[in-house]
Amino acid sequence: MVMADLGKLNVEEPPPIWGSRSVDCFEKLEQIGEGTYGQVYMAKEIKTGEIVALKKIRMDNEREGFPITAIREIKILKKLHHENVIQLKEIVTSPGRDRDDQGKPDNNKYKGGIYMVFDYMDHDLTGLADRPGLRFTVPQIKCYMKQLLTGLHYCHVNQVLHRDIKGSNLLIDNEGNLKLADFGLARSFSHDHAGNLTNRVITLWYRPPELLLGATKYGPAIDMWSVGCIFAELLHAKPILPGKNEHEQLNKIFELCGSPDENIWPGVSKMPWYNNFKPARPLKRRVREFFRHFDRHALELLEKMLVLDPSQRISAKDALDAEYFWTDPLPCDPKSLPTYESSHEFQTKKKRQQQRQNEEAAKRQKLQHPQQQHSRLPPLQHGGQSHAAPHWPAGPNHPNNNALPQVPAGPSHHFYGNGKPRGPPAPNRYPPSGNQSGGYNQNRGGYSSGSYPPQGRGAPYVAGPRRPSGGGAYGVGPPNYTQGGQYGGSGSSGRGQNPMGGNRNQQYGWQQ
Amino acid sequence: MADFQTSTQRAKWIFTPQKLAERYKAANQRAVQILEKCGTTRVEVDASGSLTYPKEKVDAGDRADKKLKPLNVEEERFMRAFYEDKVQDVCSAFKFPHKIQATALQYFKRFYLQWSVMQHHPKEIMLTCVYAACKIEENHVSAEEIGRGINQDHLIILKYEMAVLQSLEFDLIVYAPYRAIEGFVNNMEEFLQVRDDEMLKLENLLKAATAEADIVMLTDAPLLFPPGQLALACLRIANGALGVIDFDRYLEKIVSQPNSEHTISELTELLDNIEYMIKNYKKPSEKDMKHINRKLKSCLGHSSSHDESKKREKRSKHKSHKSSSDTPNSAPIG
Repeated sequence: MVMADLGKLNVEEPPPIWGSRSVDCFEKLEQIGEGTYGQVYMAKEIKTGEIVALKKIRMDNEREGFPITAIREIKILKKLHHENVIQLKEIVTSPGRDRDDQGKPDNNKYKGGIYMVFDYMDHDLTGLADRPGLRFTVPQIKCYMKQLLTGLHYCHVNQVLHRDIKGSNLLIDNEGNLKLADFGLARSFSHDHAGNLTNRVITLWYRPPELLLGATKYGPAIDMWSVGCIFAELLHAKPILPGKNEHEQLNKIFELCGSPDENIWPGVSKMPWYNNFKPARPLKRRVREFFRHFDRHALELLEKMLVLDPSQRISAKDALDAEYFWTDPLPCDPKSLPTYESSHEFQTKKKRQQQRQNEEAAKRQKLQHPQQQHSRLPPLQHGGQSHAAPHWPAGPNHPNNNALPQVPAGPSHHFYGNGKPRGPPAPNRYPPSGNQSGGYNQNRGGYSSGSYPPQGRGAPYVAGPRRPSGGGAYGVGPPNYTQGGQYGGSGSSGRGQNPMGGNRNQQYGWQQ
Repeated sequence: MADFQTSTQRAKWIFTPQKLAERYKAANQRAVQILEKCGTTRVEVDASGSLTYPKEKVDAGDRADKKLKPLNVEEERFMRAFYEDKVQDVCSAFKFPHKIQATALQYFKRFYLQWSVMQHHPKEIMLTCVYAACKIEENHVSAEEIGRGINQDHLIILKYEMAVLQSLEFDLIVYAPYRAIEGFVNNMEEFLQVRDDEMLKLENLLKAATAEADIVMLTDAPLLFPPGQLALACLRIANGALGVIDFDRYLEKIVSQPNSEHTISELTELLDNIEYMIKNYKKPSEKDMKHINRKLKSCLGHSSSHDESKKREKRSKHKSHKSSSDTPNSAPIG
């Protein structure tokens, strides 16, 4: 009764009928990004030649086996079938175990990989928007917004909250189709849901006021706030609410939308953190003033999205009925949109990134307080399709920080190793992904701290203060506002505040 | 709309009785063949879901050659039924919501469409299915807690998780009859135009039907019928005892709806089949199991009995990971 060597008999005696194919059916071409919990590769299916995206599910450091977030994503994606929602084609597994550095298999650490297979998409919205010189046309913006709302409406009808709507999670193919992606934070909700949900979701700049005020019962309206932020961002050509921490985020929201009171938002004063955050003096709503350059219908719709009280915020369905989408210029046909050079050239990106790191590191040492700069141009007001000169083929927005940042660890440029390549000189346009993935590793309440060497994810934070129950060093916890400033205006803390910090840490606790 | 109609359950996991019998037969045959060739049936699994099949016997004169009797299809069924019952025990011990045991049971059933109990011990698979069901149904309990609650090693639960998820082909959303029962009862309220004092009757009907559903989940019916039909069968049985509504008339109303897939006689026949399965369900006794258990033990071999690996795990956490996966590969027993 001798047992076979691992893997050997797997080949001779293929497993009976079970589902998952091997990842060997695909040839990995290059890494194109980093999802909420694993790397993303561009790959070619060997048999058919079809190009796909493979998203690896990270499973080491998991005390609780297969990550709940991956379970949710798989569960949700298998349920959703819509042209504006990324389709999970299949799940493939890598046979056998990878060995760790010492060549020892460790039984309780998943080393063999699980990959989700998706349609390959050429771009994401932020990457596209950040191409220097590129201008979206109004019909183009309407076209993207319409697709976004259609996809989101479908999710909401099917009782799924996306919980991380932002430009880099809106993928766009070269036929102009927009698809919602990265359901790593998504979850099902029901209207009679008794349980509490975590409020540590949605990337800070797109996070609605109710979450920032500590709501743990919420619904589709949270995603609609994010949509409003994206909408305004497309028209305004830069992010509208780039807070550095939760406090500042709320302040920015109040400065724009006015401060909430019981009249405009019944019940707000009973929100968990209302008293910590309420502004010293009442602020007036200034959306119309801020965005007076928007056209009338756009402004009208935006006003309905950026409503503080979630119960009064417009739904995806109603937004689709807005005048904006039914008046000239009408949303264009996706197929009529210009195609852009594919963004996923990992090698060039890597090179470019390296170059940028050096430049930025040098710059940062001179400038203690770098300004936020944005190179985007406002949309063209008239038809005509813009063909941007892709001299900076905007990186795929998927960060690729699977390696430790090479940047020397000065106080304020930790992130440049991770920053996504974007139009210069605003690489900090989005907080680097290191946080996002870092949050994953980091927040195991010390679990990962000693026993595992940093794996490049969130490495810059390793030295930071650990908060076992908050977001570790991410300052996810409401009372921790220290992070933002530390990194200058890098906006990095925006991402640092990203959801999973706290959430993952407590993913099996009360927070859902 | 994503619902049962568009689900993987409907598309992939509901079978004809013939097909289901074939699947069980085939799983059994595979294990029988492996037993003949290798003298053991146990498939080793590691946490990444990698499988290690037994190796062919090298020399036939070995003592491993002693004739091992495989379980037959019927014995396998008993074995599964025994542990399916345990799923409900475990879930009620933890006071989990109903849908968790239903999900765990569906996972367990689906797993053993791919595998013979001779290849993966149902006790371990049962626990892993409960654990996975908790995760999927957003009712998370740590593996350790489950292990502690029933005095089992939680590392085994984690070890089998990947293998289970893969065997389920990651089709994680399952539909059970419970929600359908609730739906029908709500619908009956309208149908009967009940007065307040009659509400209690419907509540009793709901309770009784739910209890029937607990039984139907222990049969093969969830692999043969959609949850709506299971629900109706449970309601019909419950109503038979309680006499709350005129069930035939209610069924007529259902089939008269425009999207109905069945005639009244078809539906009645389907419900009769389900009812037959419920009424004939018999929980295997420990005594039934004794003989089968012995056989199973010898098929699975001693090489990696859990007691042994448990001892190792206790000795040293890190070592145990290594040894529990390596030892059976490298150390010939006998």
